[in-house]
Amino acid sequence: MNGASMNGLLLAASFALPLLLAVAALWPPMRRHLLAALPAAPLPALAAALLAPGGSLMLAPDPLRLTLALDEPGAMLLGGSALLWCAAGAYAAHYLAASPRRTTFAVWWLLTMAGSLGLCLVADMTSFYLFFTVASLAAYGLVAHEATPAAGRASLVYMALALLGEAFLLLAFVMLAIGAPGIGNPAIAEAVAHLAASPFRDAILVLLVLGFGLKMGLVPLHVWMPLAHPVAPMPASAVLSGIIVKAGVIGLIRFLPFGGGLEGGGLGGWGEALIGLGLFTAFYAVAIGLTQPHPKVVLAYSTVSQMGVVAAVAGAGLASGSRATPVLAAFYALHHMLVKGALFLGVGVTGKAGGRSAGPVFAVMAVMALSLAGLPFTSGALAKYVVKDLFGDGAAALAVTLSATGSTLLMLHFLRRLAGLVAADAGKRPPAGLLLPFLAMAAASFLVVGLLLPATGASYAAALAPQALWKACWPVLLGGALAVLLHRFAPCLPAIPPGDLIVLAERGWPAVLRLADRLERADETLRRWPVAGALLLLLLLGLGAAMQLSAGFHIPGG
Amino acid sequence: MMVSLLPVWAVLTPVLGLCALLLCERWIRPERVAAPFVGLSLYLSLSMTYQVMTSQAPLVYALGGWLPPLGLTLRADGVGVFLMTLTALVMTGVAVCAWTPSEGASSRGRFSFWALLLALWSALNLAFTAQDLFNFFVALEMLSFAAVALVALDGTRGALVAALRYLLFALAGSILYLLGVGLIYGRYAVLDLAGLREIAQPDTVTLAALALMTVGLMAKTALFPLHLWLPPAHAGAPAPASAMLSALVVKAPFLIILRLWVDLLPLPAAAPQQIMAGLGAAAILVCSVIALRQQRLKLMIAYSTLAQVGYLFLMFPLMPGPAPWQDIGWTGGLLQLASHGFAKAAMFLAAGLIYEALGHDRVAELGGLARRQPVTLAAFAIAGLSLMGLPPSGGFIAKLLLLTAAVEAGAWWIAAVILAGGILAAFYVFRALGHALADGDPPVAPVALYRQGAVLALALCALAIGFVPLRPFALLAIGRPLEALEALP
Amino acid sequence: MSATLFGLAGAALVGIGLFGLIVHPTALRKLLAFNLVGAGVFLVFGVVARRAAAAGLAGDPVPQAIVITGIVVAFAATALAATLLARLSGPEEEP
Repeated sequence: MNGASMNGLLLAASFALPLLLAVAALWPPMRRHLLAALPAAPLPALAAALLAPGGSLMLAPDPLRLTLALDEPGAMLLGGSALLWCAAGAYAAHYLAASPRRTTFAVWWLLTMAGSLGLCLVADMTSFYLFFTVASLAAYGLVAHEATPAAGRASLVYMALALLGEAFLLLAFVMLAIGAPGIGNPAIAEAVAHLAASPFRDAILVLLVLGFGLKMGLVPLHVWMPLAHPVAPMPASAVLSGIIVKAGVIGLIRFLPFGGGLEGGGLGGWGEALIGLGLFTAFYAVAIGLTQPHPKVVLAYSTVSQMGVVAAVAGAGLASGSRATPVLAAFYALHHMLVKGALFLGVGVTGKAGGRSAGPVFAVMAVMALSLAGLPFTSGALAKYVVKDLFGDGAAALAVTLSATGSTLLMLHFLRRLAGLVAADAGKRPPAGLLLPFLAMAAASFLVVGLLLPATGASYAAALAPQALWKACWPVLLGGALAVLLHRFAPCLPAIPPGDLIVLAERGWPAVLRLADRLERADETLRRWPVAGALLLLLLLGLGAAMQLSAGFHIPGG
Repeated sequence: MMVSLLPVWAVLTPVLGLCALLLCERWIRPERVAAPFVGLSLYLSLSMTYQVMTSQAPLVYALGGWLPPLGLTLRADGVGVFLMTLTALVMTGVAVCAWTPSEGASSRGRFSFWALLLALWSALNLAFTAQDLFNFFVALEMLSFAAVALVALDGTRGALVAALRYLLFALAGSILYLLGVGLIYGRYAVLDLAGLREIAQPDTVTLAALALMTVGLMAKTALFPLHLWLPPAHAGAPAPASAMLSALVVKAPFLIILRLWVDLLPLPAAAPQQIMAGLGAAAILVCSVIALRQQRLKLMIAYSTLAQVGYLFLMFPLMPGPAPWQDIGWTGGLLQLASHGFAKAAMFLAAGLIYEALGHDRVAELGGLARRQPVTLAAFAIAGLSLMGLPPSGGFIAKLLLLTAAVEAGAWWIAAVILAGGILAAFYVFRALGHALADGDPPVAPVALYRQGAVLALALCALAIGFVPLRPFALLAIGRPLEALEALP
Repeated sequence: MSATLFGLAGAALVGIGLFGLIVHPTALRKLLAFNLVGAGVFLVFGVVARRAAAAGLAGDPVPQAIVITGIVVAFAATALAATLLARLSGPEEEP
């Protein structure tokens, strides 16, 4: 077997193995071992990310054209996801070992995994939609797992918004495919190349940003995240926040026309609009997150804020026409994926650590938290360094820098809330099944992001130069100072319920129920015989009249 | 075109099975008598499809050597064999699932079921191969009578009331249709579709006849708001019967409407097509919401059928070309028809097995099903995937094609309805799935694995349609435009 | 002229029947009303057959064949509905 086909097989195995394991749940003897198999399921994907970048595979020839291809941004996200899936899977195998619904959980987990890993690999539009849908709908099972009223509400909101997002994307894809050359299922790159000339260009861009922004949690479509992340089991929150939201990032990377096409024709505004939306999200989420008492909710708002930064990166790439944008955005997303995964896993570990074990765990958490804020020598500093150039040095650049201050504030708030979780029992030690995956993720965030830095075109010398370090330092220091100030005024902060805007939207719920009631009553009326009979005749007259009118009355001669 | 006796055999074989059933009633169990005829009919349908696909031409037979306008012809074109294959596969799945070795049900009821299954099959094959307006009427009446009897099979009061309501409303529809046929014959003295195509004019009489026939058929296909009979009938019938009724029986009148509008008198897209699509849209939105609020699984599935029938009517304004069978709207609509057929058959059969296992089909009390009947539930979920229009499934491809056609035609409201319908369908499917995945340890009666497997196979058929390429499907254009049979070749 | 008269009579029968079909609450009356519509439609077919007489034939055989088939179908439908009605009005049986 030659190398190319070997690579192709690895790509296919990345999502085929989780799928096969999920199907194996139909076979009773397999069911008992399913949870334990979770950490092994993403291994082919990890191997593919390491060995097969540049590989491709035609799953089905013309006219289906289901195509797999692994480019550089795809490989970054695939590898990062696979790592987090591994660690979170090992964590879940321990965390849920006693749960009565562990098999159901494992099936949803594997389906979500298959979707999210496949998403990094696909090159044609139908497959992209397929994997996007699988990832986003299967994650419903992860949100709903705990079966509490809060989980019920969160999963309902998640489901409603996810389906809405799917609908936006489907319409966008259909409009995109109409403009693209050839019938049927165009490759994403071909369709995007055609975007600038499409008659539906603006509508497509709006729908794409809505659909992917929903997944990333751009304000005001972020409402599902602060509800969903706290109610899911700990490892599920880690993958939701680490990986599922990245589906939106992959979407933006794949579908926005970076490197030309949009500057001309008065479309330059799109990049700036996306920057504005992203930065607004970044600061808005920090402001709301600061009022939240629950550490997992604070982390959820931090994810919203960070995804706002990624959206701004994508916007800056559009505005500047830089072809490097996909790699840079993927690099930033990779950093966030690993660090946020470690943080969520760590929340669970902290709750099980008491006495002497609490200190080291807390220290690792602090480093991870400040990595999100861009503390020098962490993955966050590298990620922020790499994307900085895209913004030039106008107001947007300053705002991005200040977003690091916001993150510092939010993360210090998180650490303060986390301290409340430390186990009171001084003899308590976190079990190895939870501790090791957490530490592995923390280490991976340094190693993986550090090793991949040259792939973005940056050099270690420049990234670690004193000037760059100072640029990373001062926003964090400023954030620290502000945090002290904020601590004084903490009692004055308003209490905002998690999910902020959703609470307003939910006020409309009774009206929706009333409408449904009314429809049901109307249906009962319509199903009464005299009504249906009269409608039969009315329809006959109406359709007959419409046909006569549109054809013009014409009585045949003779 | 190719002269072939196969269409005749496709109609006759189930009737022969019916005769055999009557003759052997005393001695042999009905399913054993019916089984070879089920197999033979399946083989006939598949071999016809194979022949049409290889020769790229329809199979035609003029009965008794008489040509139209006096004689009757049976003609299996691309659409015909496509639907006959759908029918054959669904019927076979239903037959396997209804095959109960135990002596549970009363033998009389079992005899009736198998007899009606064969009668229904013959009527469907006739409806899919008939070429003249009166033959359609005969096929539809055979279909209605068999379907009404299936609804009444349980013999409970509720089932009888539902059957009577179904029968009376279907009769109202048929009589309107027949009146339309009378007007057409009075105007042209021809009933053969191909002959009519050459001479039909959009004048007042013809249009009035077309309206009569269309509305009559709408009543039979339960298009909203003419759906009063469907929920009690489909929810009250035994599950295998509901599967055939929902998957196949409502599709035959729809196909005839389609053929009237495409084969008989192609009219330029205008207000009438918009009205039909409007009714379809109302069906999708209203009936999906009501499906969401049903407490019983079978009623939920029945309302879902109403909504999915609505999708079929969206195709009328979406085939604007001079040759509608080359438009993606045509392919989309017919794929929707087939994938809904498979998915709905699987769903009703799954509901039936769930009822057998749990002794009820209340949605809120399905907890524990995932552990006890994973195969049935998987089938239900896969069928649900197709109804929601999520990939990879036939429902997805169908909705994608309809959506593309709607965007190309600039019919944004149709696009919005297609998307909203998908969201609502996802809600009612996930609601049932969510309850089934919940904790619980209900007492469960055993259900043979091969029966669950048959349901899963039907659901996988719906999934398999998802791998049809996204373009006009060549099979569905074979045999169009209709050509008048001038002489026997 | 008689063709027009019969046509009008057919239309009247269809109209009366449809009215009954919609308005009457009991199933038996609906069934009778359906038969009335049926009679009206068959009358229309009769008129159509008569019109062919102009061509020199005694009558067009096709509508006659259709009417005969239609009558059989209507009879079968009436019998089926009557059976259902009888089962419904009879003493409730254990299914």
